[in-house]
Amino acid sequence: MIRTRLRYHRPDRPDDAAALLAEHHGRVAVLAGGSQLLPRMNRGETDVDHVVDLRGLGLRGIERTGGRVRLGAMVTYEDAIASPLLADAVPLLPRVARGVTGGRQLTGHATLVGALCHAFPGTDMPGALSALGATVELHGPSGPRSVPVSEFLLGAQEIDRRAGEFVAAVTVDGVARSGYCKVKHATGSWPIATASAVDDGDALTVTLGAVQARPLRIVIPDPTRAAVDDAVAAAVTAPWTDVLAPGDYRARIAPVVARRALTELREGARA
Amino acid sequence: MTTTPTPPHSLRTAPEPDTVPDPPPGAPALHETDGHQPLRRDGDLLLTGRAQFVDDIAPRGLLHAAILRSPHPHAVIRGVDASRARAREEVEVVLTGADAVDLATPLPHFFEPSIVGCRTTEFRCLAVDRVRWVGEPVAAVVASSLAEAEAALADIVVDYEPLPAVLDADEALRDDAPVLFEEWGDNRLGLFPFAEGDAAGKIAAAPHVVRDELRVGRQHVAPMETRGYVAQWEPGGRLTLWASTQNPHPLRTNLATTLGVPEDRVRVVATRMGGGFGHKFNGYGEEPLVCLLSRLADAPVKWIETRKDCLLVGAREFTHRFEVGFDDDGVVLGLADRIVGNIGCLAPWGGWSMTFPAGMTFPGPYRIADYAIESVPVVTNKAPWNGFRGYGKEQAAMALERIMDLIAEHRGIDPAEVRRRNFIPPEAFPFWTAAKHLDSGEYAAALDKALALAGYDALRARQEAARAQGRHLGVGIGFELTPEGGDFAGSFVRGFDTSTVRVHPSGAVSVLTGVTSPGTGNETSIAHLVAREFGIAVEAVGVTQGDTDACPYGFGNFTSRSLATGGAAAVLAARELRERMADAASALLDADAAAFDFRDGAVVSRTDPETSLTFAELAETIYRRGLAAPGLDQPLLEVTRIDLPHNFHHVPDEQGRFSAYPSFPYSAHVALVEVDAETGVVELLEYSAIDDCGVVVSPTFVAGQLYGAIAQGIGGALWEEVPYGEDGAPEAETFKHYLTPRAPDLPTIRLQHQHTPSPFTLLGTKGAGESGVGGAMAALLNAVNDGLRPLGVHAHRVPLTPPVVLDAIVSGGAS
Repeated sequence: MIRTRLRYHRPDRPDDAAALLAEHHGRVAVLAGGSQLLPRMNRGETDVDHVVDLRGLGLRGIERTGGRVRLGAMVTYEDAIASPLLADAVPLLPRVARGVTGGRQLTGHATLVGALCHAFPGTDMPGALSALGATVELHGPSGPRSVPVSEFLLGAQEIDRRAGEFVAAVTVDGVARSGYCKVKHATGSWPIATASAVDDGDALTVTLGAVQARPLRIVIPDPTRAAVDDAVAAAVTAPWTDVLAPGDYRARIAPVVARRALTELREGARA
Repeated sequence: MTTTPTPPHSLRTAPEPDTVPDPPPGAPALHETDGHQPLRRDGDLLLTGRAQFVDDIAPRGLLHAAILRSPHPHAVIRGVDASRARAREEVEVVLTGADAVDLATPLPHFFEPSIVGCRTTEFRCLAVDRVRWVGEPVAAVVASSLAEAEAALADIVVDYEPLPAVLDADEALRDDAPVLFEEWGDNRLGLFPFAEGDAAGKIAAAPHVVRDELRVGRQHVAPMETRGYVAQWEPGGRLTLWASTQNPHPLRTNLATTLGVPEDRVRVVATRMGGGFGHKFNGYGEEPLVCLLSRLADAPVKWIETRKDCLLVGAREFTHRFEVGFDDDGVVLGLADRIVGNIGCLAPWGGWSMTFPAGMTFPGPYRIADYAIESVPVVTNKAPWNGFRGYGKEQAAMALERIMDLIAEHRGIDPAEVRRRNFIPPEAFPFWTAAKHLDSGEYAAALDKALALAGYDALRARQEAARAQGRHLGVGIGFELTPEGGDFAGSFVRGFDTSTVRVHPSGAVSVLTGVTSPGTGNETSIAHLVAREFGIAVEAVGVTQGDTDACPYGFGNFTSRSLATGGAAAVLAARELRERMADAASALLDADAAAFDFRDGAVVSRTDPETSLTFAELAETIYRRGLAAPGLDQPLLEVTRIDLPHNFHHVPDEQGRFSAYPSFPYSAHVALVEVDAETGVVELLEYSAIDDCGVVVSPTFVAGQLYGAIAQGIGGALWEEVPYGEDGAPEAETFKHYLTPRAPDLPTIRLQHQHTPSPFTLLGTKGAGESGVGGAMAALLNAVNDGLRPLGVHAHRVPLTPPVVLDAIVSGGAS
């Protein structure tokens, strides 16, 4: 049960949203899909007096901007799955979205950007967006600010979001060739380890998600098994432990998910 | 090349013919197949979300309670300062343990441990001077809203002095372990030995011996609906408690004791239940607490268990250390298993008693003359257990089935064949073991049917082919004996129950019964049985359960006894009424009473079908003309009966054998898994099972029970666990932490049935509510180990989560 008296705000201009967030800093939460926020508030884990809902800001678009693709903060997993633009330009995102647990009750309202901002290690989006070289577009009292996702994600459930700011969108590179692998215990489990393999023409990378507090982007100079295993083993220095799996398990399977993502990149997704 | 049989797409399979004892004249078969079963009562309400559960109860002026729980696994309470909470405007009542001492007596145990020779102690509804587990209730707040009540908890300051805690059962047994209950001297609650013959001697002399260990993690029932209570006092001092409980009458008795209220002035209404499984056995401190809070607030008060609090309640944390001696053919010569149950802290909830069937169920379906089983319940600073479907019987299934597979592996014999060589043969029934008088069984036939249903030979061929490709397919057999209907004299866990049948002047019939439904549909089956006795439409029979003002005293819902006890009592009551009504018909129609059929809503002469009355005409005539018309001597159309005792043996025989359980259903399971040897992830590919619970009244409901039990067993085998942190707190607080199976995790479960009637029960039925849990756990455990065989390792720990399986692979099976 939400224990505090809440004031709900639905601004229709970004500057108004930023002003509200600044005014109530420390006692305010940003609401997008609410799939993480509301259960946390019900359990008393997030304790605020104000909620600023972004739905009045028109941030549900998926569009090309130059050579990149921008996703608004309110884009849901269903939107990503249904988007012809993403299917063509960034197939990794619908690929990942299809594997998100929770069924349509969740995928219809949970947002990709919300998952990024939640920054829980055991989720898909921080890893996948890191693999795509995402840029996080924030909006705050002094206007817009852009941050590379690698700098935005500071740690487990820690992000670089300053007083009065909210994330308006992320932009990602168009990457036609990618592969994904997720290992988890059961349907209801959060990801234990994910790997996004991306070949952007210049470099082959694997980005591990859920393995450490922050995603690990690893350049793969040589895709042979031994080389991948060595590169991953060298990169995984502080594996994440949670209630579902200890760090040493994640360290053990990290090379496996990396290899499988690379295989999918090479051979295409299995039907 | 062997081809794989196509799995049936329908979950329903036609049951095989029953043998039905004592059918009433003119009555249809005990169950009708081909879709003619009665529809589930209120199924439309449930499916459309209109059924009422306890959280829907909202009397005018309702207040809400929240409970402050201990953050320490073990601590002295030096003081509680609730003044700030009391000063909050919205707060009506704050109650501490010290406050409650004078308001309520110690809580009666659901199952008093001293009845079975265990240690015991007293508990209050709120901890007074010491807490022994994280989550133990310490204080409670009532406020006008749940939000206010929960917020006020933060204003209660408890001065704790932390004490050393012990979480592991083996550590708790050490001499230097912190002791939970100082008066006991150590942490052993008791010891349950079950033995026949000379196990140690036979094992020592056996040509082959295997010793191994099996650990089962702490698991949890996870009912979709958590517990909840709504209490309301009337000005005259009458209490009503709406409760999501499996035992409304014993709860009423215990509330009367605890609160000092005459029992007849307490009404407990067991609301419609969204899953019980033992989680809702009575004995919880919140039961009298919510009543106390309502009395203090002078208003109705509701408390609903949060998911986090629900997940506190534990079960199944056992360690088995077994050794088995066997001959060249795989026939068991001697068996020993020392079982330790980490029951958490003792509580008045009865879950600790699962350590009894955990040992008693041995040696399961197998004829083993020499065995020695010890089951030791040990208290630790984890939260207490309550009941969990399977009730410890799944432990015996897992250990015994693991043993059968280890013997098979050792001797190079097929695992199915090892079981056939050890089964109790059909002609040996009834069959005595130390603590069971087994009713009937065709074990080998059931296993063979399960193998055929699974296409066992084809599975082995597929496994061979997969192994050649480096894939790790595993085939596992699980055979489970499930003692049901237990009767424990001295407690309210009894093996009989009571039903009243009342025929109204309109011909409508009411059944009032002491058994309750956890949501399984037994009310539909009871209505069907009574309608069948009277030859009337099932819709004409109403069933009332769970309301202590309306129903005869009963013990509620547990150990799969509702139909065998409450259903049988209703049948007996209906038969007595039928005789009264036949006598009346005979007087009215001038015909022989014995020559009437009750069918199609009428009472019809067997010799002259023209001589008849409708059932309703007869009932109304008895009311209107009874004691006035010649021959209408018995106008009381209401009968209350208990079912007759059946197959209980409470007094030990000359060999010390006794049997507290009357019925012994069983099931055979075959699972096919694939183990990902790089990640430890287990995928369940195929599942087939045969069950035998004797005569079946409602095939759909029996199948529903089995699907649920098998799913629960699969979850327990592969994923479900509540780990504890080093701080002594449970780490699973939501369903993202406690992973129960979801639909995509389960393959089509192929299910067929065998029917070996019990010679002892009125209808030939055996319990049907728990069978499948242990068989599924055993089948999965064996399947995963079978998959690991080419790697030369074993997995000894359940649940077989990916980290556990990979650990076994990496460490060479020494985990």
